[in-house]
Amino acid sequence: MVILSPENSSLEEVLDRILDKGVVIDASVRVNLIGVDLLGIKARTILSSFKTATEIGLGFPEGTNFDAPAWRDMITKQPCPVCGMKSRPKDLEEHGCPWCGWNYRPNGR
Amino acid sequence: MRNTGALGADGTTDQMGGEITSFLNPTKESDTGGLAEAIDKILDKGLVINADIAVSVSGVELLGIKIRAALASFETAARYGLEFPSGTNLETGAWKEAMKDKEACPQCGKMVEREQLLEDMCPWCGWESAKAKSRKKVLAKVELQ
Repeated sequence: MVILSPENSSLEEVLDRILDKGVVIDASVRVNLIGVDLLGIKARTILSSFKTATEIGLGFPEGTNFDAPAWRDMITKQPCPVCGMKSRPKDLEEHGCPWCGWNYRPNGR
Repeated sequence: MRNTGALGADGTTDQMGGEITSFLNPTKESDTGGLAEAIDKILDKGLVINADIAVSVSGVELLGIKIRAALASFETAARYGLEFPSGTNLETGAWKEAMKDKEACPQCGKMVEREQLLEDMCPWCGWESAKAKSRKKVLAKVELQ
C-alpha cells in the first residue's frame, strides 16, 4: 500500500499539472531538395484544461454558449488567494473568505 | 492454511499486517485505479485541443487545417455551454442537475451544491466552511445564554 500510493498519485498529479499549465506544441518542418523548397509543415498546437483555456483566452468550438454557468462564474466570482475557492469579490473583501476564513485585514472582523 | 501458518511462524507477520490494511483501504488497491482516476480527472477538468496546421508544397500553401476541439464529461460540457448534438433534450433531469451551482468539496473533492457546502457542511465527509463554523459558534453562544 505504501509503495503503491505514490505511483497512483503521480500519474494523476502529472496529468493535473500538465492540464493546468497547458502544453504548447509549436513545430515547423521544411524539406529541401537540392536547394528547392519541397514541403513545409507548420503546426501550432495547444492542449489545456478548460479552466486554463478560459484564462488564457483560447477559442472554443463554434456554437459554445458563453452564458453558461461556468462563464458567468468567471465574471462574477474571484478565487481566494489561500484556498482558491471562489466567492463574490464583495464578500471576500468585507468578511474574508467564507470557505477558509482568510481575511486580508488581520484585525478585521 | 498451512502456508499462512508457516508465514506466521517465520515471523513475517508484517506481510499479514499489510494484507489486512489493504483490505481496510480499498481505494488504493490496484494500478487500474490510477488510470481510472486520471481519466476521471481529464473528463472532469475538460481538455481543449486547438491546432492550426499549414502544409505547403514548394512554397505554395496547399492545405490548411484548423482544429478547435473540446473533450469533457457531460457535466463539464454542460457547465461550459458546449453545443450538444441536434435533437438533445435540454429539459431532462440531468441538465437541471448539471446547471445547479455546484462546488467541489475542498476535503473529499465530491461535487456538492454550493449553498449547502458553504452554509452547512459537506454531506459526504462532513467538512465545514469557515462561514458555517462561525455561524454555528454564534448559535451555540446564543443557546448558552
